[in-house]
Amino acid sequence: MIANILDGIVLGLQFGLLAVGLTLVYGLGGVLNLAHGQMAVAAAMVVALAQAAGLPIWLAAGLGLLAGGLMGLILDLTILRPVYRLRGEARVLLSLLLTLGVSFTVEGFLNWRYALGALSLRIGGGAVEILGVPMRRGSLAASAITLATFAALFLFFRYTSLGRAVRSVIEDQEGARLVGIYPHRMLRLILVLSGVLAALVAITRAMVTPIDVHSGLSITTFALIVTVVGGLGNVAGALLAGLILGIVNAVAADLIGTYISLIILLGAAALTILTRPAGLLGVRE
Amino acid sequence: MLEVAGFSAGYQGNDVLHAVAFRVDAGEAVMIIGSNGAGKTTLFRAMCGLLSPSAGQVRFEGNDITRLPAERIARLGLRFVSAERHLFPRMTVQENLLLGAYPHRPDPQTLSTVLELFPRLAERRRQHAGTMSGGEQQMLAVGRALMSKPRLLVLDEPSTGLAPLLAQATYKALRVLRKQGLTVLVAEQQVPLAMAFSDRGYVLENGFIRLQGTTAELAAHPGIRSAYLGVT
Ligand SMILES: Nc1ncnc2c1ncn2[C@@H]1O[C@H](COP(=O)(O)OP(=O)(O)O)[C@@H](O)[C@H]1O
Ligand SMILES: [Mg+2]
Repeated sequence: MIANILDGIVLGLQFGLLAVGLTLVYGLGGVLNLAHGQMAVAAAMVVALAQAAGLPIWLAAGLGLLAGGLMGLILDLTILRPVYRLRGEARVLLSLLLTLGVSFTVEGFLNWRYALGALSLRIGGGAVEILGVPMRRGSLAASAITLATFAALFLFFRYTSLGRAVRSVIEDQEGARLVGIYPHRMLRLILVLSGVLAALVAITRAMVTPIDVHSGLSITTFALIVTVVGGLGNVAGALLAGLILGIVNAVAADLIGTYISLIILLGAAALTILTRPAGLLGVRE
Repeated sequence: MLEVAGFSAGYQGNDVLHAVAFRVDAGEAVMIIGSNGAGKTTLFRAMCGLLSPSAGQVRFEGNDITRLPAERIARLGLRFVSAERHLFPRMTVQENLLLGAYPHRPDPQTLSTVLELFPRLAERRRQHAGTMSGGEQQMLAVGRALMSKPRLLVLDEPSTGLAPLLAQATYKALRVLRKQGLTVLVAEQQVPLAMAFSDRGYVLENGFIRLQGTTAELAAHPGIRSAYLGVT
């Protein structure tokens, strides 16, 4: 049981980080990015190819992060342009359709060129005992990196003027414009950040379990569920929801089975919408 | 400092503002008075880049700023305090104030001036803006605009939704700012409040400027006395 919970925490931290990108992009721009998982997978393939080409792991990982950020930027500059012309419901819907198209395109391409491609970053050395449970070094390293990233994000959003400016657009876009903040610049920045975070999750996930070219859909699904439960536009909510759902997922998968656990997660998301539409930490407006 | 000429604007192709013209010189306090629905908010929103005008021109410190986006205009030093305030509700008073200076580094001197002017804000620095009373939110909206050291402060009905005493207090603060040399343009429905503050004014009715003059001239005008000052 404790082993399951610890596994759940490792997974949950990564879920949370995935959701941060999705939730911020939605909060800032009213755009729901269904290609989030495929961006993560594509970044993972960049790392795998760079490694295969003989580059050291830190350089390969750096290229992966760069590729993630670049994909966010490309989304902003290309496919999302028509989305930006719309408001409200139509905007969300068009963003869903177009990014779904991107997800198929990316996955199709990867499947065609690198059908057997996968990223696996095993970290050697024996297991480390935590609460009497042997944990693999890969899991611990992945969690440490993820936690450090969360800490950096909190500091950025709370203590830098750029971070506050991003939050202000989520809070009140017109208010932000009236103090001289360009909302679209903030959205572009956050799309790049979300791409980098997706790549980071893919890389750290690969320290725990291999990422293959078909992992995109399940990554997007988890990220969406965590986003809904955590509340749109809420970084702390994403962390909390990621942890809770990660633990729920690990325990349920062990007790009942993997497919059932996904259904349980979807149920949790539906229940959240019904009872707390603004998410776990959300305040009703 | 500000010149508006032949300015028309509206919604869905129907103008509610018709060839409006007025000016504000450096150091002045100018009011635009008019009853509910006259077009004051439409005028300010179109002037500040939140709504696209259908005709006319806005010049600010010699530059044509017509149709520039609101964020550009704000950075030029023309700060608009909306009647809806548009604060950042789940951010602290302090964070709201600091954002007022964006993208520049907040000036500690300016911050202490603002907190001196509105001591309530100093007491509530760590409180979320959304949890404050209407009067405090109005102070914060003005304070946030002041953090940028604006060249011109434009206020839309700063008395809206405030109890009479709080509305008076708001105008008292505006008078202090005037004495410090700030140029102010204010739209107001509660005409006596605006008159006690302004040097000059314009009367907006159904989207047309009907009258203009010094505050004394307007206060003496029979039409104004009966329509806006409740004197028969
Ligand atoms: N968003 C809007 N859509 C359509 N008509 C509007 C809108 N806002 C204001 N109006 C109309 O424009 C006219 C002027 O309104 P407004 O500028 O708000 O006046 P004021 O601020 O002087 O009360 C009114 O007739 C009002 O009904
Ligand atoms: Mg109005």
